[in-house]
Amino acid sequence: MMDALSYLFASWLQPELLALTAVGTAAGIYIGAIPGLSVTMAVSILISFTFGWEVNHALALMNGIFMGGVYGGSRTAILLNIPGAPAAIATALDGYPMAKKGEAGNAIGLSTVMSFFGGFVGIIVLAAGAPVVSEFAILFQPRDYMLLAVMGILLVGSLSGESLAKGIFAGAFGMLLGTVGLDPMTAEQRFTFGSVELMNGISPVALMIGLFGVSEALLQLHNLHLAAVKQKVDKIIPSFSDLKKYLPLSLQTSAIGVIIGALPGTGGDIAALMAYDHAKRVTQNPEVPFGQGAKEGLVAPESANNAAVGGAYIPMLTLGIPGDAVTAVIIGALFIHGLNPGPLLLIEKPDMFWFTVGNLTLANILLLVFGLTGIKVFTKIIECPKGVLFPLILLLSVVGAYSINNSLSDVWWMLGFGVLGYFMKLYGYQVGPVVLGIILSRLMDDNWRRAIISEQESLPAFFYGMITSPLSAVLFLAIVLILLSQTPVWRAIKMHASPRLGRG
Amino acid sequence: MQAHTNRRPGEIAFNAALFGFSLFMFWQAYQISGFSALSSAGAFPMAMSAIMIIASAVVLFRSLKLASPGGGWSGFRSEVLPPAVLVFSLFILAYSITLKSLGFLLASFLFLLVSIWYLERGRIGRTLLLTVASITGVYVIFRVVFQVVLPEGIIPERAILAALGDFFAGSK
Repeated sequence: MMDALSYLFASWLQPELLALTAVGTAAGIYIGAIPGLSVTMAVSILISFTFGWEVNHALALMNGIFMGGVYGGSRTAILLNIPGAPAAIATALDGYPMAKKGEAGNAIGLSTVMSFFGGFVGIIVLAAGAPVVSEFAILFQPRDYMLLAVMGILLVGSLSGESLAKGIFAGAFGMLLGTVGLDPMTAEQRFTFGSVELMNGISPVALMIGLFGVSEALLQLHNLHLAAVKQKVDKIIPSFSDLKKYLPLSLQTSAIGVIIGALPGTGGDIAALMAYDHAKRVTQNPEVPFGQGAKEGLVAPESANNAAVGGAYIPMLTLGIPGDAVTAVIIGALFIHGLNPGPLLLIEKPDMFWFTVGNLTLANILLLVFGLTGIKVFTKIIECPKGVLFPLILLLSVVGAYSINNSLSDVWWMLGFGVLGYFMKLYGYQVGPVVLGIILSRLMDDNWRRAIISEQESLPAFFYGMITSPLSAVLFLAIVLILLSQTPVWRAIKMHASPRLGRG
Repeated sequence: MQAHTNRRPGEIAFNAALFGFSLFMFWQAYQISGFSALSSAGAFPMAMSAIMIIASAVVLFRSLKLASPGGGWSGFRSEVLPPAVLVFSLFILAYSITLKSLGFLLASFLFLLVSIWYLERGRIGRTLLLTVASITGVYVIFRVVFQVVLPEGIIPERAILAALGDFFAGSK
């Protein structure tokens, strides 16, 4: 127990780690806030630069960026009506109308404190829940891991994309890319086309930088010269009566956030939208109507998206399955540092788990500090011209890809995926499932083969096992439901049942 | 993303290319170990490429049914490949090619200078200032603080850094 406590506060007491967390959180707020820069982009690019570090140092920086970034998106959503990050889409709905009425400072203050509450709830659930899930996870059969991975990919593809078919394509494509190279079980060559370089497989880091960094920057060139609207910002610290009034809603939506965040494949963006919807349903008489600057519409998504951060770490640390795109990238980083996220991680490396919990807590507190200060500097920084920003992102992407192996071939891969990602996004494909796919490919492939070998290569026995084992059956049912919920028939029923809900 | 009723320019070509790619990958996956066993090295890749074929076929079929975007080549140029994207992509390509031979400092300097000047269409003085400031920032953070190995090229930066180190060590 004492050991766990000492790890919990490791990042609070070591100046280096404290500084990295602070830098990460502050950078995260700005990265999240600047439209065109995303947390996934920043974390993907940073992985390649933190190769040589100790794992805790790299984690401290990434945790900070994740925590700060999810919150940071709210800033520009409120001030400019441009969500800096997908998780802040719901925030813009009521945050921007508040700013237009001259309450920008109030809106920022309230969203900061509510993000802090939400983040805290997420961390508490992570600390309490992960050990339980991890013990439970030992019971998981290879088949169950396979099903979980399928569920994760399907959720990313179906909830955030334009069409399920495109989401499924992207996920399968990522999985396929993950199999390139020597087969880890039989050492047979897969898709190597006789090239020695391909035998080691495609670097997931190059893929991530390409898809999240290069393609996004290229796409943003379409609207390079959008003029920003300026808002007056004053009185940041929210009033105590406001906090007291909205705390119950914040706690409810934090719960939604943690649960959504913990589901494989779903992250802060979906959590925020669901929380917004929840707030709309439970608030009977809002002071200001929703969509015109209701504080409830600000509190709900902001609590939920930060709560989702803690939630997303649960499947990542206990099952090795990323909760969302950012955790997919962080898993990539953990693999590189020789760690193997999964049920045994908590038993073999409790220090890493408690370090993460303590570090996230620290990042959350720093978020409150940075969030309520430095607004003046902030408004200056987000005015940074895009024409300077994008060349810099590209420069970091190229140098980042180069430094993975000190070779140009990763740069070519990255650029190739950048161009592919550009067209994919343009034509309505999501790139998140591709990244999740390449990360989960090994897990899927291994577990499928283990499962089918244990059933003596018999498909009927495999399916029989899937229906008779309670855990597999639940997972299988969930997958069927996800698929069904995307079919036109189901949508028609849903629209018929609740015409007032609509999208979101 | 909003659902749309009109095709985007070039959408069919892209979807068809993905479909063709999926077919090719399925054939390649079949080459790994054929239909020998469910647990063979090729089974999972074959399953994934089969899913890709079905999904891309559905997408392609649906995009064929959408109304034509109109606008022809000029529509493609303005919606899909605006000049800024094309030109900037060429800059990136040139930067990647020259990175190793020119080294990080010189190649990045040229890349930033040209692309900031192109994108911002500003005065050369301001561009120069922004470029030098950016490179200094990146260099200090990544090379000096993070200790990332960057391609050195023709500017002997390691020697300069070492000399600087010696100088400050000597002056103490």
